[in-house]
Amino acid sequence: MSKPKILIITTNHSSYPGANAVGQARLSYGSNTYIIRVPDPVMFPEDFYIRAFEKGIAGIIIMSSGSDCPYEGAYERLSKRIQNVYNIMKQKNININRLKLTTICTVCKEAFLKEISDMEKVVQNVN
Amino acid sequence: MEENKIYEKEHTINENYRQKPKVAVYVCHCGGNISDVVDVKKVAEELSKYHDVAISREYAFMCSSTGQDYIVEDIQKNGINRVVIAACSPALHELTFRGALQRAGLNPYLYEHVNIREQVSWVHKNDKEGATKKAISLVKAGVEKVLRQDPLNSIRVEAVKTVAVIGGGVSGMRAALSVAKNGLNAVIIEKSDKLGGKLNRSGNVYPTGEKAISVAENLSKEVLSSDKIKVYFNSEITFVSGYVGNFQINVKRKNGEYEKIKAGAIIIATGFDNYKPYEGEYGYGLNKFVLTLPEFIEALEKSGPGKFNYNGKDINSVSFIHCVGSRQIDGIDKPGKNGKINEYCSRVCCTSLINTANNLKTKYPDVEVFDIYTDIRTYGMDHESYYKEASKNDVIFFRRPLEERPSVEFDGAKIKIKTKDVLTMNEDMEIETDMVVLGVGMVPNDITDLVEYMKLPKSSDGFLQEVHPKLRPVEVANNGIFIAGTAQGPMDILESLQASNTAAVKAAALLASGDIPLDPFVAVVDEDKCTGCEKCPKECSYSGALTMIEKEVNGKKKKVAYVNAALCKGCGACAAVCEPRAINVAGWSLDQFDAMVEAIAKE
Ligand SMILES: Cc1cc2nc3c(=O)[nH]c(=O)nc-3n(C[C@H](O)[C@H](O)[C@H](O)COP(=O)(O)OP(=O)(O)OC[C@H]3O[C@@H](n4cnc5c(N)ncnc54)[C@H](O)[C@@H]3O)c2cc1C
Repeated sequence: MSKPKILIITTNHSSYPGANAVGQARLSYGSNTYIIRVPDPVMFPEDFYIRAFEKGIAGIIIMSSGSDCPYEGAYERLSKRIQNVYNIMKQKNININRLKLTTICTVCKEAFLKEISDMEKVVQNVN
Repeated sequence: MEENKIYEKEHTINENYRQKPKVAVYVCHCGGNISDVVDVKKVAEELSKYHDVAISREYAFMCSSTGQDYIVEDIQKNGINRVVIAACSPALHELTFRGALQRAGLNPYLYEHVNIREQVSWVHKNDKEGATKKAISLVKAGVEKVLRQDPLNSIRVEAVKTVAVIGGGVSGMRAALSVAKNGLNAVIIEKSDKLGGKLNRSGNVYPTGEKAISVAENLSKEVLSSDKIKVYFNSEITFVSGYVGNFQINVKRKNGEYEKIKAGAIIIATGFDNYKPYEGEYGYGLNKFVLTLPEFIEALEKSGPGKFNYNGKDINSVSFIHCVGSRQIDGIDKPGKNGKINEYCSRVCCTSLINTANNLKTKYPDVEVFDIYTDIRTYGMDHESYYKEASKNDVIFFRRPLEERPSVEFDGAKIKIKTKDVLTMNEDMEIETDMVVLGVGMVPNDITDLVEYMKLPKSSDGFLQEVHPKLRPVEVANNGIFIAGTAQGPMDILESLQASNTAAVKAAALLASGDIPLDPFVAVVDEDKCTGCEKCPKECSYSGALTMIEKEVNGKKKKVAYVNAALCKGCGACAAVCEPRAINVAGWSLDQFDAMVEAIAKE
């Protein structure tokens, strides 16, 4: 069986270049990680995450731009939405630690790796 | 900030994207950068079996002209109407490949770039099988995305035709002059009260022998007399906002006044700082006859004819020590205040130190000169002649082992240097000397505030980091921001000037046409699907960007969401609340992401 998959949602503006910085520094992490990039994760509705879990994704890390976010009000809307997702996850008996909202900047290499290793621990028991 | 005019530019589009999808997939080796880890043949082979993929190839360098020709040919001869390329980061070549589609007559946005270098091969070196599997999934996800992609037209935004140059050393001055020569306006923001930076000093410079100060003055005269360049002296930057084409730099003047400077592009030329030895490093700070190289250059200039006199003492011998604060080794050298050692070579010090030793010998031929080095790196054109001249001048060289440091001891008025010498089979040497000169390296200038305001990337050495040392050597990841000179790393004057010219030309080319193409990734409404529920405008933070209008759709009057493309920023907050998925950010639709996640989740 293959390792549980971690979906990493990055932003064009900050965490995607952050993920590139990790590569440029030749640091390493597990290959069970799949990075997709978006203008801002605020675009995803609640059910997007639930569907991803149902399709078999073990963990999702949303690496937002946080206070560096170029879009007005987007981070506030995103954190509210993630609260809603947590509520739905609880109702559906999905461990809420499988979804993490965090902030990664263009040069946050260490933080990027730490988020992955934290999520690796969570998804170990997800099949 | 005021809004700048935004308009759309039509791309030539071949209408064949409406036909049955024929996707071409190209997997780049990146000359081993990818293929040493990812089994690119296997990726291409797997993808050739994937639905709607008509062509799947791998090639050594997709970005080369041959690589791009494959794309053009496949579009023109083989009816390809969508393209996926798995290669380096899109930051490097997304535009290159969109250009290839455009040349072939295909809408440049019917393209998906999959990053299998920075985010696969470089981070999964020890897991080739896993990396290959991951690459396959990601490329499949890319195919799913491009299959759901609509052709788009790019948006252009009006740009301010002024380049702001931060720092007025030789680099900043050269950049501003070059910008002006290209017909644009430049503004230099300098924190001190004069131009010239580190060249406001005595002594001459290699490789021309000119006075350092005249290099600075010649450039500054040219700058101050240019009607296209404005210089703000004594100015501290308090904030930087905006984006490519429309930056705003807030500046505090010495008189307490604030100024807002508008610029379409920014060149950072904030220079370097001299490495400051800690107290006791080779005796520095403990004995006034231990000097840094810049201090020595001043001392040499000040001393009158006859005998070399410093601090009331006649100096009969001088010993230079190379690599102070550069090429440091973990566990041997003491880390600086930031807890780090400087592993890099400062490049300039060898030639400038030997040039100074020669100047000393020319002025005071009787002074004995010793030179303790690890490697002599007089690397530039004609630099070696300084080394040869020093040998002719009877400078006595000692080569210390790489991992050993000479010691500097004081015995009354005497200074003794002890070192091993590789040139005499590691013999222990003891040099009695009147003066020690430390060849200090370059360290990054403290520009923490600028780094913070503009989110500038720094290398592990702490200097500003370019996107790519060869492909994009003066650009940082942030669009519209360039670096010039020693803010990027140790360089001599010539190299700084070359880098500055490059940065200036890049900035000028960006702003030359008066508008900058922006990605067309704004919200679009499918009026057939829109139910007029009015949820989306409430999510939008930009006044006027998203409103409801009455409109005739398919012969029926109905209420639909309406996007003003000039005001929409493309965040997608609206898309999240639209149940029928009638509103989406162009190029980033939810259907695309669902399909990508599906492809990734599958085995
Ligand atoms: C001892 C020594 C000897 C050398 N000898 C030679 C030689 O012989 N030949 C040679 O080719 N090279 C030599 N060099 C290298 C040469 O000095 C540099 O290449 C050159 O000075 C680099 O210029 P710069 O404009 O990049 O940086 P700098 O000269 O450091 O100028 C940076 C400017 O930016 C300003 N600034 C900094 N921060 C800010 C801010 N936040 N806001 C606004 N303004 C700011 C500073 O005030 C300064 O004016 C020598 C270097 C050293 C240390």
